[in-house]
Amino acid sequence: MGCCCTKQRVDQKDPAVLASQTYFNLSEIEALYDLFKKLSSSIIDDGVISKEEFQLGLFGSSEKRSLFADRVFELFDSKNNGVIEFGEFVQALSVFHPAAPQTQKADFAFRLYDICQRGFIQRHEVREMILALLNESNLVLSHEIIEVIIDKTFEEADSKGDGRIDPEEWQEFVARNPSLLLRNMTIPYLKDLTTQFHSFKLTSGIEDCTSRSSTSPEKDNILELKDNFNGVSIN
Amino acid sequence: MGLVKKIGKYQLGRTIGEGTFSKVKLAVNGNNGQKVAIKVIDKHMVLENNLKNQVKREIRTMKLLHHPNIVRIHEVIGTKTKIYIVMEYVSGGQLLDKISYGEKLNACEARKLFQQLIDALKYCHNKGVYHRDLKPENLLLDSKGNLKVSDFGLSALQKHNDVLNTRCGSPGYVAPELLLSKGYDGAAADVWSCGVILFELLAGYLPFNDRNLMNLYGKIWKAEYRCPPWFTQNQKKLIAKILEPRPVKRITIPDIVEDEWFQTDYKPVFASEFDQNINLDDVDVAFNSIKENIRESTIPKSSSFINAFQLIAMSQDLDLSGLFEEQDEKKQRTRLGSKHTINETIEKIEAAATDVGLSIEKMNNFKIKMQPKQIMTRCSRSYLSAQVIEVAPTHCVIEISKSTGDLRVYHKFCESLSNLLKQKPDVPSQSQDSVDLCAAERKKQDAGCYEEPKSEDSKPLPGYKSA
Repeated sequence: MGCCCTKQRVDQKDPAVLASQTYFNLSEIEALYDLFKKLSSSIIDDGVISKEEFQLGLFGSSEKRSLFADRVFELFDSKNNGVIEFGEFVQALSVFHPAAPQTQKADFAFRLYDICQRGFIQRHEVREMILALLNESNLVLSHEIIEVIIDKTFEEADSKGDGRIDPEEWQEFVARNPSLLLRNMTIPYLKDLTTQFHSFKLTSGIEDCTSRSSTSPEKDNILELKDNFNGVSIN
Repeated sequence: MGLVKKIGKYQLGRTIGEGTFSKVKLAVNGNNGQKVAIKVIDKHMVLENNLKNQVKREIRTMKLLHHPNIVRIHEVIGTKTKIYIVMEYVSGGQLLDKISYGEKLNACEARKLFQQLIDALKYCHNKGVYHRDLKPENLLLDSKGNLKVSDFGLSALQKHNDVLNTRCGSPGYVAPELLLSKGYDGAAADVWSCGVILFELLAGYLPFNDRNLMNLYGKIWKAEYRCPPWFTQNQKKLIAKILEPRPVKRITIPDIVEDEWFQTDYKPVFASEFDQNINLDDVDVAFNSIKENIRESTIPKSSSFINAFQLIAMSQDLDLSGLFEEQDEKKQRTRLGSKHTINETIEKIEAAATDVGLSIEKMNNFKIKMQPKQIMTRCSRSYLSAQVIEVAPTHCVIEISKSTGDLRVYHKFCESLSNLLKQKPDVPSQSQDSVDLCAAERKKQDAGCYEEPKSEDSKPLPGYKSA
């Protein structure tokens, strides 16, 4: 148990470890930490993001209910303890990085749509999500049309014909039509984090005329990052 | 967004430019970290407009251009559906940004840029290549403030009418002979555009400008402009020779170079002849995979219908970009349901666009781009786009998005389209929902917050049977 705690502490605190495990570099993780601090202190400054704070960041309102936002929150909260810690935050956002491979994005989408978390997607889950979308956008589709859409979808995706979509079938299905099925799985801003947040200095070696370049050694930045992490609570 | 992440050795990044037929993306060479700009052209669009041979010829020619004031093409890559033109990335941005908001350059700076522009034109015209769409958006500045002309030779990708009618700001730069529907001299037309650009650099505003398009044409046709008081006699003289409405009497590039004002501080640059080592095979490969008979193949009708996960992926609640953008800077987006066939729906979109004064540009079979018809001195370059997705034979979803700019046109369009969509009297509930949606959208904007009105009815939507 002590060893486990120690490992968790290292994972949470060390930006270099996060950089090695994700598609972000050190300066980008620094930028993400600033965003994380804003989200985690928007309601209660406790160093973690609650569901209400997550919804506030996403919608500008902490009271809006959304099946999809709930599912996203649950996937970000990989420890399933009801809050998002910084390490979880960075790991999850890495999937949305433009550089993340399609199979990784497809896997995240699969777990997102697997509402009951049984390891496969079933008809009633798809219907529930369609109804949530219709409710969100005030579209109206009849029950018959919804069933036709689901029928057609399972006809295309359920290659084994057992009435549900498993991870293997899902990857095949996505590979045939990635741009439409994964349209929400990439956040272009993640490619330009350090230029979006002008207060940060670049540590990247690539010259970018639109941003000021940093002259301080990388070690100093790591030290600064570690100082910033003192406020993060550890479970 | 399902973006293509990697093309050859290039990692694709954000979109840095967008045109009728293409987008330009920033990318990084995975081998050496070099930044490039990649123009992405849809093969289907090229084929649909019978431009294959013309575009191919022009790209081959562009690849041979080697001049310090012209954006270089590194290579061309083709996939099943797209052509990627890998170009030099120019980091200083557009000249447009330098002369925005009515600012003008000092005379020395303006002259230097004009000299570089004329040098580039001289080089290209000698190779038989014309630009045909010169305007500040196509003039880039490198990190040292030197001019780089972009999109030389890609005029095939401009519809003739587009230049005159639909592009923001473009009518102000076109030569008078383009107002006629017949052939014209590319060299003379480019010279005229240079004159407009020079005037704008020195004055800070366009020589020809009018909100009414026909009035604007009239001024161009008669070369009706007035120089500001700070223009020198030499500047006025040169501009008068360039903005000569009769192409046969207009000054030529060699004569511009001889001009007294132009010669001040002029340093000709060295430009190499065609580089014999440049390989053009990649252009051939990229284009040869376009099949001429693709138009004849019939796509099975069921394939165009949406599948459930496409529908679900349209959810705005799944768009995590909201975490990174200020709420009021979010791209405006809304969805409407349509109980009409996809063709009828597209007709109604076009009717609604006309109703609120938007010009229409079909980007592909299911996507329409609309922008204000009025020409401003410095248009905000806002536009609306509508994507039609077929859910069932008589059910479509229309996704409408808007770039930065005036919200009023957006709301008017949504209202007009909602009214048109509800014209069938046997679907009253649809119209009510559509109207409520636009009202809700406006309420969101007015209130400045995104709290959705709480719905007291938590029951599943009742089944609705269409006639």
